[in-house]
Amino acid sequence: MVFPWLSASILFPIGAALLIPFVPDKGDGRQVRWFALGVALTTFLLTVGGYLNGYDPAVEGLQLVERVEWLPSLGLAWSVGADGLSMPLILLTSFITALAALAAWPVSFKPRLFYFLLLAMDGGQIAVFAVQDMLLFFLAWELELIPVYLLLAIWGGKKRQYAATKFILYTAGSSLFILIVGLAMAFYGGNTSFEYAALMAKDFPLKFQILCYAGLLIAFGVKLPIVPLHTWLPDAHGEATAPVHMLLAGILLKMGGYALLRFNVQLLPEGHAQFAPLLVVLGVVNIIYAALTSFAQRNLKRKIAYSSISHMGFVLIGIGSFSALGTSGAMLQMISHGLIGASLFFLVGATYDRTHTLQLDEMGGVGQKMRKMFALWTICSLASLALPGMSGFVSELMVFVGFATSEAYTLSFRVVMAILAAVGVILTPIYLLSMLREIFFGKENRELASHTHLVDAEPREIYVISCLLVPIIGIGLYPRLMTDTYRASIEALVQRETSAMTRVVSVPSGSLIRQANLQAPAVPG
Amino acid sequence: MPSAAELAWLIPVLPLAGACLVGLGLISFNRTINRLRKPVAWLLISCVGAAAVLSYAILAQQLAGAGPTEVLFNWASAGTFNLQMGFRVDALAAVMLSLVTTIAVLVMVYSDGYMAHDKGYVRFFTYLALFSSSMLGLVISPNLLEIYVFWELVGMCSYLLVGFWYDRDGAANAAQKAFVTNRVGDFGLLLGILGLFWATGSFGFEEIGAGLQDAVAGGSLSSGVAVILCLLVFMGPMAKSAQFPLHVWLPDAMEGPTPISALIHAATMVAAGVFLVARLQPVYEPFAAVQITIAVIGTITLFLGATIALTQQDLKKGLAYSTVSQLGYMMLAMGCGAPVAGMFHLVTHAFFKAMLFLGSGSVIHAMEEVVGHEPVLAQDMRLMGGLRRYMPITSATFFIGCVAIAGIPPLAGFWSKDEILGQAFNSLPLLWAMGFITAGMTAFYMFRLYFLTFEGEFRANDTAVQAALLAAAGKGNDHDEDHDHGHHAEHPHESGWQMAMPLAVLAVPSVLIGLLGTPWNSRFAFLLDPHEGAEMAEHFSWGEFLPLAGASVAISVAGITVAVLAYALRKLDMAALFANRFPAVNAFLANKWYLDAINDKLFVQGSRKLARSVLEVDSKVVDGVVNLTGLMTLGSGEGLKYFETGRAQFYALIVFGGVIALVVLFGSLG
Repeated sequence: MVFPWLSASILFPIGAALLIPFVPDKGDGRQVRWFALGVALTTFLLTVGGYLNGYDPAVEGLQLVERVEWLPSLGLAWSVGADGLSMPLILLTSFITALAALAAWPVSFKPRLFYFLLLAMDGGQIAVFAVQDMLLFFLAWELELIPVYLLLAIWGGKKRQYAATKFILYTAGSSLFILIVGLAMAFYGGNTSFEYAALMAKDFPLKFQILCYAGLLIAFGVKLPIVPLHTWLPDAHGEATAPVHMLLAGILLKMGGYALLRFNVQLLPEGHAQFAPLLVVLGVVNIIYAALTSFAQRNLKRKIAYSSISHMGFVLIGIGSFSALGTSGAMLQMISHGLIGASLFFLVGATYDRTHTLQLDEMGGVGQKMRKMFALWTICSLASLALPGMSGFVSELMVFVGFATSEAYTLSFRVVMAILAAVGVILTPIYLLSMLREIFFGKENRELASHTHLVDAEPREIYVISCLLVPIIGIGLYPRLMTDTYRASIEALVQRETSAMTRVVSVPSGSLIRQANLQAPAVPG
Repeated sequence: MPSAAELAWLIPVLPLAGACLVGLGLISFNRTINRLRKPVAWLLISCVGAAAVLSYAILAQQLAGAGPTEVLFNWASAGTFNLQMGFRVDALAAVMLSLVTTIAVLVMVYSDGYMAHDKGYVRFFTYLALFSSSMLGLVISPNLLEIYVFWELVGMCSYLLVGFWYDRDGAANAAQKAFVTNRVGDFGLLLGILGLFWATGSFGFEEIGAGLQDAVAGGSLSSGVAVILCLLVFMGPMAKSAQFPLHVWLPDAMEGPTPISALIHAATMVAAGVFLVARLQPVYEPFAAVQITIAVIGTITLFLGATIALTQQDLKKGLAYSTVSQLGYMMLAMGCGAPVAGMFHLVTHAFFKAMLFLGSGSVIHAMEEVVGHEPVLAQDMRLMGGLRRYMPITSATFFIGCVAIAGIPPLAGFWSKDEILGQAFNSLPLLWAMGFITAGMTAFYMFRLYFLTFEGEFRANDTAVQAALLAAAGKGNDHDEDHDHGHHAEHPHESGWQMAMPLAVLAVPSVLIGLLGTPWNSRFAFLLDPHEGAEMAEHFSWGEFLPLAGASVAISVAGITVAVLAYALRKLDMAALFANRFPAVNAFLANKWYLDAINDKLFVQGSRKLARSVLEVDSKVVDGVVNLTGLMTLGSGEGLKYFETGRAQFYALIVFGGVIALVVLFGSLG
């Protein structure tokens, strides 16, 4: 029998979390946090083990499959597996969670509950990416909300109740659509099954696909988030503590992007063919709108939160690009933002611990006391503004090139969208560098320096950031490190959506957005 | 044993490795590394030095007639697309490699003296090595995409170095301005690269050139679109090489330490734009509209830079505007279809302008002994004068630089500038006239700088002027408490050997290198483009050369004469002659053509206002709707709670009513 890597990495952290009440602890949380860190690291090693032993990047289909009948009467089976869409995100999840456990070192309020929720979330999030059954997906998606809600509501900032309630209402409300669509798809055409493979084999009519697509777009659009469904995010991110923040930005947002690829594109390719231009437009709106709001924000956390929204715009454009390069770019952007977003939010938390304020007006000249912190902030901000040599640049470039050369759209549509998206290239450094300018540059703010203790970055913090920077720079220097792990799956996916588009989309002449003559792009060499 | 060209990848990698090593050390063992000043400096200088040796070997091979070498690997791929990276060594790259490494090594040696007392000494050297690495990578990039990568990286290094003294507000603002202005250019560059890739399916220079011509000839691409794509790409060089209207960042960038101004903002990085245009000649050449646009923008820039330089009182700013003007000359050459002439001017200018900037650094260093570490005072020429007596080496080299840039034969600037003017005279006479007049202005303002700084009385101890300058900069009060605690020297001293040696070394090429590019036997042209070199030598005639050369020497001499009369002999009072007679013109020039004010009003304030209103919409409207929904739910709950009476019959009645209503609804729907 083969070792069940995926089931183990889902169930181990949850099982271990249940043991937390029995961990001997004197009440200061020290033993608990070592225990939690050990569990998170073991989970990371489990996922890496699965990747090394059971996963072949060259195969496009599902691997590491484990299937046990659970409730046959409902058609429910414990079915997990990984392909190119999920494997990188599973690794990202366990990686970021392990770092978040390390980032949570200073948490002293109710440590047992905190680490319990952290570990439960770890398993739940891996489950979201690994399960191959829509009902299970819905369960994992919902289960995963509860720890986040509690983490927000108990450990958050001043407005934590408002933020947590808003978060739960938004996501729970929107996930109703997942359930409805899942049921509809499962019961369609007799043969009741929730499994992705079975759903993929079904031949849904176009109108049905469009309805399902719209429902799922709302559900996942809240998570990603897509403007105007984003307003929970600045509140939730604005109130969360640093480790929760890392998980929110690093993993939770990726659930939206992953689900869009998995359900909207893979299961409903014809619906996707109809909706894709909308995705591109929404992506461009995300980029510009959120960059502007981020620029105007005076609260540091909310500023970074809006910048996350802006970066997610590239994911949308990539998904809607109908090109292997663009879709790969979207996938890479998710991973890259997972790493960069987590590092920035970790730094926000570390800075807040020292300044006790998040208002940019109350900071200034902090760089003189905290030089290492300044250096880390600079590196991570440069990564976020897509400096070459770091992962963000590669992913955005891939989206740009993929979309610009996509044969699915007319030249004028591509030109307008590319120009608007490129405006983000100007706006992003404006808000990020202004932020650095206001925190670190200039004369020291005497008032701040007088009543706070501005110590420089400690080794633990430098270690966390270095762990995140290694993959960021590694991918930036040689992107195939990451893209080769999912290349086959993405190419198969794009093949599927492209053939669906040729089936359903008839292009009237003189169309503004789409163009008819689909042909293989001519690339010499 | 691989040949030097095959090892070219080591040239950027060596300084990068050094910089990474020290950078990691700085983050992990800050104090220890900060104390290891000399070892770090030696390590990084030897990294760049080794790169320099390798570059010379490559240049020697190219001089011996070796062909281009190109090595590529697949960097990213998806579907049928492969993005390739690698390196390419040819004559152009070899020239740039040698130039950049030479000046980088000299500037690093100089910095050892200049930054000796700075607490960021180690960080400074790390940044320098990082910059050298990025710039060298840019030079050997085989395609547009890789150029873009290094293009951004040199921009980042420039950002870090301009903002090196991050506790100064001026430096912080300048750094941000530099990065954002360059990003505006990169916006066009990125779109242009995408567009050219779409049109030709390639990122390589020759392939794009050929593909674009084929596409236009084959009718699949209108020539208007091709021109737009070319011009979009040109936006990148416009920002990097400080061409009008994106030049505004360069003068502000002088807030950085002076060695940086010499290396990045005079000799190497700002020349990257010119270099890219030279690389793109196969793309640009077939389109006359593109060439003319480039030439016109170059001409506007050279004129604008020179006119503003006329009125500057800050020594470094004066040199900065002179750089802007000279970059304009190089662009003019590119636009005239004479990349060899432009590149030649790039090389000669790099040497003498680096020397001038390092000289100004030496002056500032010396002035700081007298007036304290306050850039407003240490860089203002109203407080200088008479420095020749105290600083013989600096003044002598500065004088050589002024003669070179003014275009007096046989120094370097004469040959390269004259070649550009000759080319312009043949292709675009109107632009030649502008360049010709500007040559006179160049001679005037450079000698104005020289005389105000090195001749006459030493004025630094004039406290009235000091106070006036500080008040004008808005620093009147906090200056006293911050800086007046130390003892100030009565008069300045010549700088130490680390600073004097690079000046002396740079003086040699500033005098001699022009002789490599004499129009009758241009070795430089033979190296870069043997065909063009032969053609130049063949078409050369003294009858054509002498009148043009004579005219430009004459106007330079005229400019120098005016400067001598006005600032050395005090026979002409420029204030009475011009400033007071044409106050509008003077104000226009002193305010830098009001471009900064316009940018601030239009773009900075405009974007802030836009961002604020979007945020307003976000919190009031978008989030408002959400909260309103929440409130409505609460409200309806409030209303509905009266239905919860606790009587089972009442609930049953409601359920029954609901079922009836649904039945009726579905019945009517069909």
